[in-house]
Amino acid sequence: MKIDIKKISQGEESVTIRYAQMTPSIQKIIGILRGEKTKLWGRVSDENVCVELDSVLYLETVDDRVFAYTSDQVVRIDGSLSSFMDEACDETFFRCSKSMVININRVASLRSMSSNRIDATMENGEHIMISRRYAVEFRKLLKGDR
Amino acid sequence: MKGDKKLSLWERYLVHEIGIEFKACLYFFAVLFFYCVVRIIGGVYSADILHMTQMILACYVICYMQFILFWDFDEADTLGAREISGMVICTALYCALSYVFGWFDRKLTPTLIFAAYILVTYLCVFLIYKTKRHLDDKKLNEELKIFQSEHKK
Repeated sequence: MKIDIKKISQGEESVTIRYAQMTPSIQKIIGILRGEKTKLWGRVSDENVCVELDSVLYLETVDDRVFAYTSDQVVRIDGSLSSFMDEACDETFFRCSKSMVININRVASLRSMSSNRIDATMENGEHIMISRRYAVEFRKLLKGDR
Repeated sequence: MKGDKKLSLWERYLVHEIGIEFKACLYFFAVLFFYCVVRIIGGVYSADILHMTQMILACYVICYMQFILFWDFDEADTLGAREISGMVICTALYCALSYVFGWFDRKLTPTLIFAAYILVTYLCVFLIYKTKRHLDDKKLNEELKIFQSEHKK
């Protein structure tokens, strides 16, 4: 993608986006310009969709692809879990294993397991295991010590 | 996760090792208590240092086996056939060692009572860990609710 950046001395600042096809990346840029930090852009079977960040239950990496799961759809998003965490900058999203990020606001209950692991039951009834390595950090986050 | 630091192989080993040594000490005191009671009943008021050395080494090795071979059964989430078989095998090992090393003068009755005692100890440790986790559940869920109310959008 070609990027033209021009400095102006007067007049209103503006951004023009010229695109051949509306992709999640373009939509993400538009979202950033509009200040829509609470939305997540992705694809559901070749169709571009936008979901509220808060409606995401968890994100998972499968075969180097990142999927966001809401209660009724699975959205494929660009980038990696790390880039999502950096962009979201939201404490309610927690990296609970190498391949998963959970939305703590969408956790229905927690269960302490053997070997210091934590079993998180999501609002849709799915169980996600927070491994021993991440459980310490998770406990700190809940206590507000992080 | 920002500021995420991976545990090194050495640190991971230490975490396991400390856990195993802690458990070895726990079971050693349980075995030693039974040994002392048997000695006192038999009219002997001293403990053999060699026996105690054998006991602590036996506990350490069996705790390692518990962790590596028997699914750490005393810390298991549920008590199934797999965990019970682990308990029985480890109990049999303790009894065999007590017989070989003559902790109870190779008498059958104290050895059989020792077997029952070890099994009960395993069950108690399992229940202690389970209760601890149950209390931890309550604390975790309370903290979760507080977190969610503070971060509601």
